Amino acid sequence: MQRANLYHDKRAQWAAYVVFFAALAAIPLMMDDPFTMNQYARYGVFGILALSVSLLWGYGGILSLGQGIAFGMAAYGMGATMQMQYQDPVSDPMPSFMLTNELESLPVVWEPFWHAHYGILLAIGVPVLFFIIFGILMFQARLAGAFVAIMTLAMLGAWYSMAYDMQPYTAGFNGISPPNAFVAFGVEVDPYSNLIYWTSLGVLCFLTLSIKALLQTKFGTVIQAIRDDPERARFLGYNVAYYQTVLFALAGLIAAFAGVVWVMISQYVSPTELDIFFSISIVIWAAVGGRMSLFGAIFGAMFIKASESYMGDEFQATWFVILGVVFIVVVRFLPKGIAGLFEIAIGFIPYRVKGSSRSGVDTSSAGD
Amino acid sequence: MSVILELTDVSKAYDQFKVVDGFNFKVNQGELRCLLGPNGAGKTTTIDLITGRQKTTSGKIMFDGREITGLREDKIARRGVGRKFQVPAVFKELTVRNNLRVAFSNNTDPFANMIRFSRKEGRERLRQVVELAGLQDRLDVLGGNLSHGETQWLEIGMVLTQNPKLLLMDEPTAGMTEQETQKTSEIFNRLKGEHTLIVVEHDMAFVREIADVITLMHLGKTLAEGPMEIVENDPKVKEVYLGSEGITSAA
Repeated sequence: MQRANLYHDKRAQWAAYVVFFAALAAIPLMMDDPFTMNQYARYGVFGILALSVSLLWGYGGILSLGQGIAFGMAAYGMGATMQMQYQDPVSDPMPSFMLTNELESLPVVWEPFWHAHYGILLAIGVPVLFFIIFGILMFQARLAGAFVAIMTLAMLGAWYSMAYDMQPYTAGFNGISPPNAFVAFGVEVDPYSNLIYWTSLGVLCFLTLSIKALLQTKFGTVIQAIRDDPERARFLGYNVAYYQTVLFALAGLIAAFAGVVWVMISQYVSPTELDIFFSISIVIWAAVGGRMSLFGAIFGAMFIKASESYMGDEFQATWFVILGVVFIVVVRFLPKGIAGLFEIAIGFIPYRVKGSSRSGVDTSSAGD
Repeated sequence: MSVILELTDVSKAYDQFKVVDGFNFKVNQGELRCLLGPNGAGKTTTIDLITGRQKTTSGKIMFDGREITGLREDKIARRGVGRKFQVPAVFKELTVRNNLRVAFSNNTDPFANMIRFSRKEGRERLRQVVELAGLQDRLDVLGGNLSHGETQWLEIGMVLTQNPKLLLMDEPTAGMTEQETQKTSEIFNRLKGEHTLIVVEHDMAFVREIADVITLMHLGKTLAEGPMEIVENDPKVKEVYLGSEGITSAA
C-alpha cells in the first residue's frame, strides 16, 4: 500500500507546476534558434492534447479516441481565419483553392472568418457545441468504456472523410496553407519566433492550472467518483450523464485550444489533423506519462514527441513498434505511467503529514 | 403516524413472468421494516422499482405525498430516497473522506460544484456520520483498501450523509462477521425513529434484533405482514417454507 508522501502534498504539487512552467518559459532566453522555438511550441500543443485526455480519461474514466475531432475542427477554423486575414474583400475575395475548384463565390460558412475574432470564436465554439451534442447522445444512453472509444473513433473517421471529400470548402487532401502568419491586435505571431513558443506555453500553462484548480473543487471529486462507480453516484442524486457531458465538452474545449495554437505554429491545416493514428497517439502519450496525473500526461506527450524527433529519424518505421511495446509494458506493469514511478521514487524523501503525529498514514489522494 | 411510502398494485414482468405481481406495500414514517422472503421472491426487484433502477410494468409508487413511478434514479434520490446496494459499492480510488463528501449531495449541479471547494462543506454532518459508522481512524484510507465490514459501514455512512427520508438497505450484513453484524444492528437501532428504513435481510438473528414489523414476500406478493412472532406462526408461511421448521432455518 502506497503511503502518503511529498507527491500527494497539494502545496508541493502547485510548487512543482510553477517550477516546471517557469523553467520552460526561460528556455528561449538561453537559446536563440527560431527553428527550435517552432519545434518546442509544437510540444506545447501536444501537451495541451495530453492534458485533455488526462482530464477525461484519467479523472473522468471516459476513454475518447476522438480528441482529434475538436483539435481538427478548431484547426480548420483557425486555418480559415488566417486565410481570410490574407484575402482582400475587393481585389481577392476568395482563397485560390476555391477558384481551382470552380466555386463562384465565397461559401456562406466561410463568411464569418473575415473577422478574426468571430473566426476564433467559431474555431473554439463549434467543436465544443459538437462535443455537447455528441456527449448527450452517448451519455444519455449510458454508453461507457469500449463503446465510447468505438463511437468517438468512428466519429473521428467520419470527420476525416468529410474534410477529405469536401474539397471546394476544405481544399481536401492538400489542406489550407495560409500564406501569412496570424496577426492579433496588430502583432504578427511569427511561427518562427520566441513569441510563438510563449504563446503555446502560455495556453498550456493557463489550461493546466485551471484544470488543476477545477479538480480541487467538488466537481473534481464528483467526476472521479463517477469514474469509480457511476451507479453509486447516480443513487446519491447525481445526474451522471450531465456530469459526463460537461466533462466531455470541457475536454473538447481544451483540444480546440490546441487546434487553434497548432495552426498558428504550423501555418497549415489538412485532414492529417483528423487522422485516427494521431488521436490514438494522444492516448498513448497520456498513458505512458501517467493519465492519473495532469503533469505526467503533459510530460509524457513532450517526452515521447521529443524522443520521436530525435530518435525517430534513426529508427524510421521501427519507431512505432518501439512506441507500441512501451505502451503495452506501461499498461500492463505501470498503470500510473512514469508519474507512478515518480510517486514511488519520491516516497524515499522523508515526509511527515501535516497536523498528524502518525507517520504511517495511508495515501490521501489518488495522486495528481 | 403518516405513511411515507406506498406501493399500489405494483407489478414488474419480464415477458410473461411476473417477478413482482400486484404488490401492495405501506411504510410509516420512522418505521424500520424488514423485507423477507425466499430467493426469487422479488425483494431486490421491489427495491429497484422504488429507486427507479427498473421501471414498473404497472402500478403506482407514492413517496412523501408525491408520485415517483418511472422517475430517473438521481431524481428519486434527490426526493430523499437513499439506497445501499447488495454488493457494497463505494468509490474505490477516493479516500473515505472524499467518499463522504461526494455523498453530501445537497447541490448536485455540475456548474455550481465547480465554484464550490468541498473542504468546508458539511463538516458537522461528516463528523456525525463518521462517528456513527466508526470510521474515525480511516478517513484518509482509499475506499478500495477497506475491509469488507468497513466497506459496508462506509456505504451506510454515505447513504446517511445524503440525509434521506427513506433508507433502503439491501442485505447490509452480507459477508459480515458476528461482531460486525452486532455493530451494524447497533447502528440501525440508533437510526430507528429518526429515519425510515426498509431492510432486506436473510440473517434472522439480525432481523430479530432490529425489526418492528416484517413483510414476507413470496412469488412477488405479500405472504404475511406483522410483528415477527405473528408472521412466524402463520400457517401460510409454514407451508411456503416446507413444513414445520419455519422461516428461521430456511432463511
